[in-house]
Formats: sequence, structure tokens, C-alpha cells
Amino acid sequence: MTNKEIQNTTGTVFNIQKYSVHDGPGIRTVVFLKGCPLSCMWCSNPESQSFKPQLAYNSNKCISLAECVRCAEVCTAGALIQGEGDKIHVNWDTCTNCLCCADSCPSGALITYGDKQAVRDVIDQVEKDAAFYARSGGGMTLGGGEPLAQPEFALALLKEAKRRYIKTAVETCGHVSTEALLEACKYLNMMMFDIKSMDSEKHKEFTQVGNERILENLKAVRQAFPKLHIRVRTPVIPGFNDTTEDIQAIVDFLKAYDVEYELLPYHRLGTQKYTNLGLGYPLGDTSLENDAFLPLLEIAGQIGFSK
Amino acid sequence: MSCCVSPHEQRLLDKIEGKEDIYRASHPRVFKILETFDGLRPIIDVERARYFTQSMMETEGEMLCLRWAKALKHIAENITVYIDEDNLVCGRGGVKGRYGLLYPELDGDFLDIAIKDLPNRTESPFSISKEDARIVVEEIAPYWKGKTYHEALNAAFPEEVHKLSYDDPEGLTSRFIVNETSSFRSSIQWVHDYEKILKRGFGGIKKEALEKIEALDPLSPIDNVEKKPFLQAIVIVCDAIITWARRHAVLAREEAEKETDPVRKAELLKMADVCERVPEHPARNFHEAVQSQWFTQMFSRMEQKTGTIVSNGRMDQYLYPYYKADVEAGILDEDQALELLECLWVGMAQFIDLYVSPTGGAFNEGYAHWEAVTIGGQTPEGRDATNELTYLFLKSKREFPLHYPDLAARIHSRSPERYVADVAETIKDGSGFPKLINDEEVVPLYVSKGATFEEAYDYAVSGCTEARMPNRDTYTSGGAYINFVAALEMVLHNGKMLKHGDEQLGLETGNPCEFKTWDAFWTAYQQQHKLFLKTAFHQQYVINNLRAKHFAQPMGSAMHDLCMKHCLDLHTPQIPEGINLGYFEHMGFGTLVDSLSAIKKLVFEEEKLTLAEIIEACDGNFEGKEDVRQLLMTAPCYGNDDPYADEIARQVDELNVLFGQKYSKELGMHNDIRYVPFTSHVPFGKVVGATPNGRFAWTALSDGSSASHGADKTGPTSVLLSNCNSKNYGHRDRAARMLNIKFTPKCLEGEEGTEKMVAFIRTFCDLKLWHVQFNVINKSTLLAAQKDPEKYRNLIVRIAGYSAYFVDLSPDLQNDLIARTGHDSI
Repeated sequence: MTNKEIQNTTGTVFNIQKYSVHDGPGIRTVVFLKGCPLSCMWCSNPESQSFKPQLAYNSNKCISLAECVRCAEVCTAGALIQGEGDKIHVNWDTCTNCLCCADSCPSGALITYGDKQAVRDVIDQVEKDAAFYARSGGGMTLGGGEPLAQPEFALALLKEAKRRYIKTAVETCGHVSTEALLEACKYLNMMMFDIKSMDSEKHKEFTQVGNERILENLKAVRQAFPKLHIRVRTPVIPGFNDTTEDIQAIVDFLKAYDVEYELLPYHRLGTQKYTNLGLGYPLGDTSLENDAFLPLLEIAGQIGFSK
Repeated sequence: MSCCVSPHEQRLLDKIEGKEDIYRASHPRVFKILETFDGLRPIIDVERARYFTQSMMETEGEMLCLRWAKALKHIAENITVYIDEDNLVCGRGGVKGRYGLLYPELDGDFLDIAIKDLPNRTESPFSISKEDARIVVEEIAPYWKGKTYHEALNAAFPEEVHKLSYDDPEGLTSRFIVNETSSFRSSIQWVHDYEKILKRGFGGIKKEALEKIEALDPLSPIDNVEKKPFLQAIVIVCDAIITWARRHAVLAREEAEKETDPVRKAELLKMADVCERVPEHPARNFHEAVQSQWFTQMFSRMEQKTGTIVSNGRMDQYLYPYYKADVEAGILDEDQALELLECLWVGMAQFIDLYVSPTGGAFNEGYAHWEAVTIGGQTPEGRDATNELTYLFLKSKREFPLHYPDLAARIHSRSPERYVADVAETIKDGSGFPKLINDEEVVPLYVSKGATFEEAYDYAVSGCTEARMPNRDTYTSGGAYINFVAALEMVLHNGKMLKHGDEQLGLETGNPCEFKTWDAFWTAYQQQHKLFLKTAFHQQYVINNLRAKHFAQPMGSAMHDLCMKHCLDLHTPQIPEGINLGYFEHMGFGTLVDSLSAIKKLVFEEEKLTLAEIIEACDGNFEGKEDVRQLLMTAPCYGNDDPYADEIARQVDELNVLFGQKYSKELGMHNDIRYVPFTSHVPFGKVVGATPNGRFAWTALSDGSSASHGADKTGPTSVLLSNCNSKNYGHRDRAARMLNIKFTPKCLEGEEGTEKMVAFIRTFCDLKLWHVQFNVINKSTLLAAQKDPEKYRNLIVRIAGYSAYFVDLSPDLQNDLIARTGHDSI
């Protein structure tokens, strides 16, 4: 592909987050790509799962029907009806996801998650903070969703970033095409790779896929790129992988690879977004206690990197 | 999982739970002193004003500088002197506890009225005893009626200037449109050359003045009429401060005599020795240096009202030789040095800069003070200046987080990593210190304005965000604060303002609804904008000519190379070889830019709204028009590194820069654009109706060069970049720019958080921004403090180049702080 073709490649992005300080070294910009092959029950970015742009509604931001009916005027499907507190209610069953109402909403109560963007425009945004990357050792992180589930777009983003001397990282669930993954590694300074459980059945129960391909992919990457900076991460989810046995199994597996390891404690920050998308929160009411988490941190410490 | 509160917040929580402060044991003396005045309402002490007035009554007709020196001598001989219990440093200008002084030469004409209001004022109240109130009303105020600078200025303003300046014919209340600030302080923030006093003493300066008198041409009219009385004033003022210091020595000996505790007795005798020695003679050790500096700045505070207090200068530089020598000689260790400095801090904390006028009070809420201690930066040779004392100052701020003194850290491209990291750690502590000033912006700018590299490298942070070269700066007047959001309102109302009804205040730029293009609108805006600039410059012209007739400062002049060389008082409008660095202030930058952006985008480009709809919505304070308000807020905003808004910001800045460039010369100064509001963005907001950026009527404007409240949505990197984008680097005609950023403690957690803060500071330096300061705090803490002020009495927050107790602020300003965007990370 020529540079121009790379720059014109498009994909679906649902957020570009600047000043991100927990997604790789230094001060970074995270580009969130939409769509994911997994459906984790704890997913904190439910808006990232579908590959298509989609409507979301935050009733807290709705002005009130007394002052504004702009959305209802454009809704042809009749999906917007009067709800509680003089605010709009979205009937998700009748909504056709035409997204017209989001364009008309002045307050940001109705918004669209995800839009098609060209590589050039995305990297232009990313490059704006280059002065901060230079001082902090930061750069661009591709996140999601699963960024490599849009392989052509993700690769083009990485190539264009590299061409502009922006350091790159990717956050992957590992359940992607091995070919795309290995190709991406050529343009990466760092990879953050999730391993959620060594128990494939449980993995499937909680994420909808088994872990075989994921484990194979980590092996493949390490073989082909022995020096690549890899940080394996495990989101610690109550009732799924929060026992010492679960974490010990992952740590034992990782001992054969030269990787960093990090535990990400479960949080519920994404729950509001489920409501906004008209969805229920699959994991229900649960929380991770310090007493359960701290022993896991110690186990993680066995392979040199803990948090 | 861990760290969700800053160390400062943690200590507050500890205190609420009744736990002892973790640093109390290692700083016992100063914590004990602090408890004697912490949280007390300040008291007005009238002695300074009384003796000053008495002397001025006796000297009418003489040269002003000489009169001032005599008045200071009268004060020095008569004012009560104090030795504070437990303190190792002495010298205060008023009663024990927190106190403020009166300067009737500034506001004597309405002092009697004001004195009745001060205890009940919302912003920065003061108490006064019945007897003292009587003295003010009967002895002090009557003399000054008809003689104050303020009255002369009010009379001197041409009518069209007066109209945009004051609300009333007497000029007592500001209109907060084009606001002059020269009449509520004798001098703007200032820094003295303390090093000179430490090295030579006032005895040395007196000797110099006497030698100069000897060398005068006995037949020359200038030498005899101008120079001789000036030099005599210098001699008198040197004697005055020496007299005042020695009275402390006498008192210390008396107290020692009575003291039964042998440890304290020895301390008092040592203090007596020190006060006999300095500031007359050169300091010989660290203790003498600290005491000499304190006498100097304290007497300077009695000499005149320096806007929000005279600054401390480059303390880690001029104190270092004494520190080093004492440590090497084994007579001082780190803890003792720290204790002496902290004795100074509690002294500073008890002097409150009292603003009598309501305008002054509103400008400087929370008992504002900017006695900036400058640390770091470069030596006059351009090498890094960091030393062990630098780190000691930072340590003191973390362990004894009193909000005095204000601490300013100079940053340059080669600032050592340890220094920047230590600065970052101190910022993370969460009490707002230190603020950062950027050598890479200040030094070249000052060189371009005529300083030598040596002078520019040696600048000291002064006041809120400014920088001074103590022997080269010669401009002492406050400048105009200009409410450009009001200019926008005038475009929308054809020269009128909502608050002032039918009064034609501005230009008739035509019916706004008839503007067909953005260019037409922008042209109208520029006309109103320039009317304000013109008004500000006319004000300053009058001010420059008038001030020297009312203000003198023999002591400040004694310490200034150029004043001594040319035998001219520092308030003289033009001092040969001096650089006159003045300013005018842009109020509500973010509010204005976002409003212009909304009009440009939604009316003239996307045509989603008409100007008539916007004006109607604004005039009705968006009542029933929330959809219009929300729509307006979708326009690009300043603070997001968005070229659309930032280009408007740059064009607005350019209007200011080019006007200053063209007309400053006529004022004999650099009258350059500055973005530093103190707390005045609150009162300025109170005169402006709702604005097209969605801001509600009468609420605060955006502060300094910061983004509007909540408008900066893309994070702190974008805030810095927008600031950079909006500057006109091709021109030199700019002064300070204040930038506030609020972080949550979570975002700067741990060692990694420190590293990222260091990188953030380094990039700030690379971008050549002037200033930045941080609040590292959780919104929940601010809300809790608002609800339960008693418990959060010690909560310190960053306001505007200074930190203050949150509970000392008016509700309006508290809300303003809460509304600033808090940057977190995902």
C-alpha cells in the first residue's frame, strides 16, 4: 500500500482519549476501535462490542420535553416517547438505529457511539500531543473493542503512526487472526495482551469464546518477536478468576515467556453505559474486595511485575 | 484501589478524626505558633496609619519623598514593637494574631465609611476595636479628605473614561468594565534586592547617600533642589529601620530579663544580639540573614501598600552563602535552618493585606497574598541555580503546608530531574504549591524588552505570576482590568449592557441582527474591543502623570540601583535606564472566545441559530431555552486544542498585542497584555448577563488564560496546547499569563504519577507558556468543605497565583473553583 492508501484507510472509532496515563508508558492517546469478538460479562465498554455505530441515550442529560422536542421530531420509527420526569424514553425494540435523533440532540443526551474515520484524521489528532510523548516516552495506544478485529484499519494506523515517529502500543484480547497480530507486531513498541483465564470452559462461559487461540497467539508472538515489550494483563473478576488458583495458573503459564504481568482490579465504572444502550448489566451486583485482591497481587509479583 | 486522596486531604481527614498531624512532632515550634492565630478573623491595626498621618500633617510643602521618610521615622520611633512568644524571628506591624494595616494615603477619603462595613463584608472581612474605629474616624480620615490619590484620579478622568470606569460620581464603586487598579495599592507586586541589604546593610546604603550628598555641586539647582532632599530621605529612612530594629533588641533583652525558662532566655538574648546587628550591618550568618530580610520586607510593608504584599525574591539564592557557611562551620543544620525559615512563614501568615475598598476586596478574596518565594531557575551566568536550600523550601512546603509564603518554582530547559521531580511531588501534596514560572518564556521576552541576559536570568517571581528584575524594573502602577465579555454584550445590544439598561456605554455598532456575515460581526466586535483598549490606555496616561504626586517610597528607592544612581524616587514616571514593565488585563478570555466561536459556527456557518434567537435566549438568562444553551455549548471551545476556537483566541490576543505595540510608547512604558485576574473574574462576571457560550447571567467569567468552566473536555494536554496556540509569539508585547489546572489525586498516583507530572511540566516548559499551577484535589473534598466549613478550616486551595483557605472564600468563588474541570484519566 502506498502512504496515501494507508492514510485513506477508514475504520470505526468510538473514542480518542488524550492524556491517558494508565495504558502504556508515558502520556498517551488511546484510539478506541469499535467491535470485539468477545462479549465479556464485565465489559466496561459495552459500546465497544458491536462493530456498527450505535445510539446511546443518557437521560441525565436530556433537557426536558417542555423545552426541547428536537429528537422526537426527526424520529420516523416512533421509538422516542415520553418517559419519566418529562424526559425522552427510547423504545429500543422499535429503534432502527438510524441515528438521526443523535444529530438533532443539542445536549448530548442522545449520542452515537462510533463513526467512520480515516487514518489520516485519526493520526492528525494523535500527533497533536507529540510534544508530550517526546517528554514522557508516551505515544499512541490502540484499544477497543478489539483493535485487531479491524485488522486493515489497525495496521494502517500503526504504520502511519510509525511513519510520523509516534511510539505505538496495542491492547488486545488475543482472540484475533494470528497473521494480523504478527503483522501488527512489526509496528509496535509495546503490546498489552489479556489473558483472562487458563480454564477454557470458564473462559467461554464468561466471554463467549475459549482461550485456545489466545494462548497460541501469545506463543506465536513471542516466538516471532522475542524482544517485543509485552505486558500481559488479567482483569480480576469476582466469581470468574479471583481465586489464587486462577491467577497462579496464569502465572505458571507465563513463566515460560519473557513478559511483564499486571492485574487489573474489577470496577463497575461502565454500568451506566449499559443503561444508556438499553442493556442490562450481565454481571449483576458484585464487587472485588481488597482481601481477595491483595493475595493475588503477591502471586502476580512472582514474575517480576506487579501493580 | 489505593490513593484516592492527596496527602493534604489525608491530613485534613486525620484532623477531623482527632489525630495529630504527622509532622507536628518534627516541627513543634511553628505548629505551636500557628495554633495561636490560625483561623482567627484579622484585626485592623491603626498605629501605622495614625503615625503616618501625624507626620504628614507636620511636613506639608516639603518634597514628597522626604515627607515619606520622615513619616516612616515617626512610625519607627513610636509604633508598638512585639516579640512573639516562641518565635525566633521578630518584627510585626500590628497586634498579635492576624492583622492588617491601613494606608489612608490611598483611601482616606472613604475610610470612615468603609471602616463601618469591613466587619460585615462577604469577601475578606476584618474586625476593628471601638477605640481604633474612633481614631480612624476622628483622627485619620478627616486629614485625608480631599488629598487622596483616589480623589485626584476620579477628578482627572475625562468623562468618557469615567463612564466605563466607575458606577458613581465619586468613583467609589467600580463598573467592572474598564477597571483601573492603581488606586487601591501604592505599588503593584514588587521584589526588593534583599541581597544588597544582607551584604551591605542599611548602614552601608546610608553611607553611600551621605557620600553622595558630599559630592553634590553646591551651586547646581538640580543637585540641591531635587537630589539633596532625595538623598536626605534615604539617610532618614535608613535611620528609621535601624531604629525600629534596635527597639526590638531592647525589648528582647527586657523579656529575657523576665524569662524564667533558661532555653527561651538564651533565645531572647540571641535575638537581641541579632537585632542590634541587622539590618544596619551586613549579615554574618544564616540567622542574621533571615532576620535582616524580615525586617526589610516588614518595614517595606509599612512604607506603602504594595499590591498583595512585597515578594521575597530569590531566597534560595541570596540566603545560600550564609546557609552553606554555617553548615560548613558546624553551627547550623538542616532542621535548624528549616525552623528559622518556618518562623518567618508564621510571621508572614499573620500579616494580612487589607483592602479597604470594596473593589480591592473583591479583587483579592481569601485575604490574597503573593509574597512569592522564588526557587530554582538560573544564575545570572545562565547556569542552573538549584542548590540544597531549594530542596529545603520544597520540603518545608510538604511538611508544614501553611499557605504562606507563596512558593514559585522557576523551570528551565535544563532544570535538573531531581528538582522537577521534587516540584512534582510537592504539587501532588495537594495544597497548590508551588506555582511554576517558565524561564524559557520570561528570559527572552525580558531581553527583547531591553534587559541584559544577566538581569533577565536573575529575575524573581513577583506577586501572582509576574517576574521582576529588582534593579532594572521601574514601573510601579497597577494597570487596567478590562472586561471584554462586556464588549461582546455591547455588540449584541448596540453599545448597551443589560445591567445598565438604556445608558449608551459603548459604540453604536448597529443592530446585530442585521449582520450578514461573520466578518461584519467580527468588525463590530473589534470596534467595541478597541474602545475598551482606548479607555484603558487613556486611564493609564492620566495615572502615570498623577501617581508621583501622591506616592513616594524612599526605602524601596534606597534598595534600587537606578534610583540611587539618578537620585529619583522609584515612583517617578521615567527613571533613566529603567524598564517600565506595565500591563493591562484581559478578563474572561475563555468566556469571550467560546462565545465568539458559538456565534461564528452556529449563526454564520451552520445557520442552526440566528443572532436574534441567541440574544433573546441570553437576555432571558436561557429561561425556557435550555436547548439553545446546549446547542451553543456544542461549538468548539478554547482549551481543547481545537484550531477553530484557538484561532479566534489568537486573533483576540492579537488585537491586544498590536494595540499595546502601537500606543505603549506614548505612555513611556511597555503596556502589555496580561491574563491574570486574581479573584476578580467573579465580580467582573457579576456585571455581565448570560453569554453565548452558555454561561448564565452574573456568574463568574473564565479565569486568566484558562478555559471556561467545564469547556476543556479533551484533557490537560489540550489545555496547554490551546494556551500555546492562542499566543502571538512573533511579538514581544505580552506580559504574564495565568493558567489553572485541576487534577484528581488518582491521576497522579504513585511514582508513575510523579514521572508523568514531570513530563507534563517539561512539556509546559517546551511550549514556552508563562505560568501554570495545579489544584490536586477531589471535587468531593471541596463539596464537603462547603457543607461543613468548621471541619475543613485548614483546607488550602489554589486560587489565582496564590493559595488560600477554602472556607475564607465567598460562596461565589467556592463554586467557581468547584466548577473548574478536574482532569482524571481513564
